[in-house]
Amino acid sequence: MIRKKQRQTVEISTASLPDIVFLLLFFFMVSATIKPTNEQVKLTTPKAQAMIKINRKELIREINIGTPINREMGDSEVISVDNRVITKEQLAQWVVEQKESLPESLKDQMIIVIKADEYVKMGLINDVQEELKKVNARKVVYRTLPKL
Amino acid sequence: MKLKKRSIQEINTGSMADIAFLLLIFFLVSTTILQEKGVSLKLPPEPEEQSIAEIHDRNLYKILINSSNQYLIEDQIRLDLKNVREEVKSFVMNNGLDPSLSISPQKATISIKTNRGTDYKYFIAALDEVKEAYYELYGAQVGLSAVEFRELNFDLPEERLLIALGKEGIPMNISIAQPESLN
Repeated sequence: MIRKKQRQTVEISTASLPDIVFLLLFFFMVSATIKPTNEQVKLTTPKAQAMIKINRKELIREINIGTPINREMGDSEVISVDNRVITKEQLAQWVVEQKESLPESLKDQMIIVIKADEYVKMGLINDVQEELKKVNARKVVYRTLPKL
Repeated sequence: MKLKKRSIQEINTGSMADIAFLLLIFFLVSTTILQEKGVSLKLPPEPEEQSIAEIHDRNLYKILINSSNQYLIEDQIRLDLKNVREEVKSFVMNNGLDPSLSISPQKATISIKTNRGTDYKYFIAALDEVKEAYYELYGAQVGLSAVEFRELNFDLPEERLLIALGKEGIPMNISIAQPESLN
């Protein structure tokens, strides 16, 4: 007599799936808030159309230009980098420091992202650009938002 | 005495994974929404290394913005940037046909000059129009729209070839001159 083989269906336990997913969830939640946003200036970025996406995030250094949040600092526009307010004269020094933080082969490829308020005067923007030229950081991207 | 039988009530955890997935996807999407995007520009080198190039007037498309944010484009007062994109395109691709426009795309230069009192917004608007015009020209060379051209990925060999083909013969000569002092 031929015995019928009994097949047993093997089930993978999915009970631990929520745990795995929650772990991932927490990882993303934590890593998303890891960068503290202690901004010193208030600004509205202008709108533009001809925008490009920067793929190499490690090359980006950001300069913020806008009115200070701290009212005691007055109403005139200031330059802010790494969540601190600096003067125009200190800017070149900061750029050199940032260049040093990049590996040797990438030093000339540093991208400066200028994030300025719509109503900042071009005089200040130009002073910043002059400083950047002096220290040979000439790749500039003006941060903009897409036009709707 | 009869013991009361208590049935242990269980909460169904089957949908827990779905809820967690939903949250996970939400965070994944919301964290990548902030991309680094903007209008790029290469600043000119410091004057001492710069070769002084005389640019013939016909090869120069001048955009001036004064401290009241008014445009003076090719010596005409303009209220907005309407038609500038089309003008830049025909200026660059003139190839010597019209004596008032550029001799060749290589020689054509767009100059954006601002005043110290100009608002940043108006400078960006002008720069944006000029760049868009160039991207439209690049795209047209390889049969793409300006948006499609900008989305080409430089890291992919075939797309890099398209970028090179699109840019061939049309250098983006945008000059941002030193602004005049406020007076």
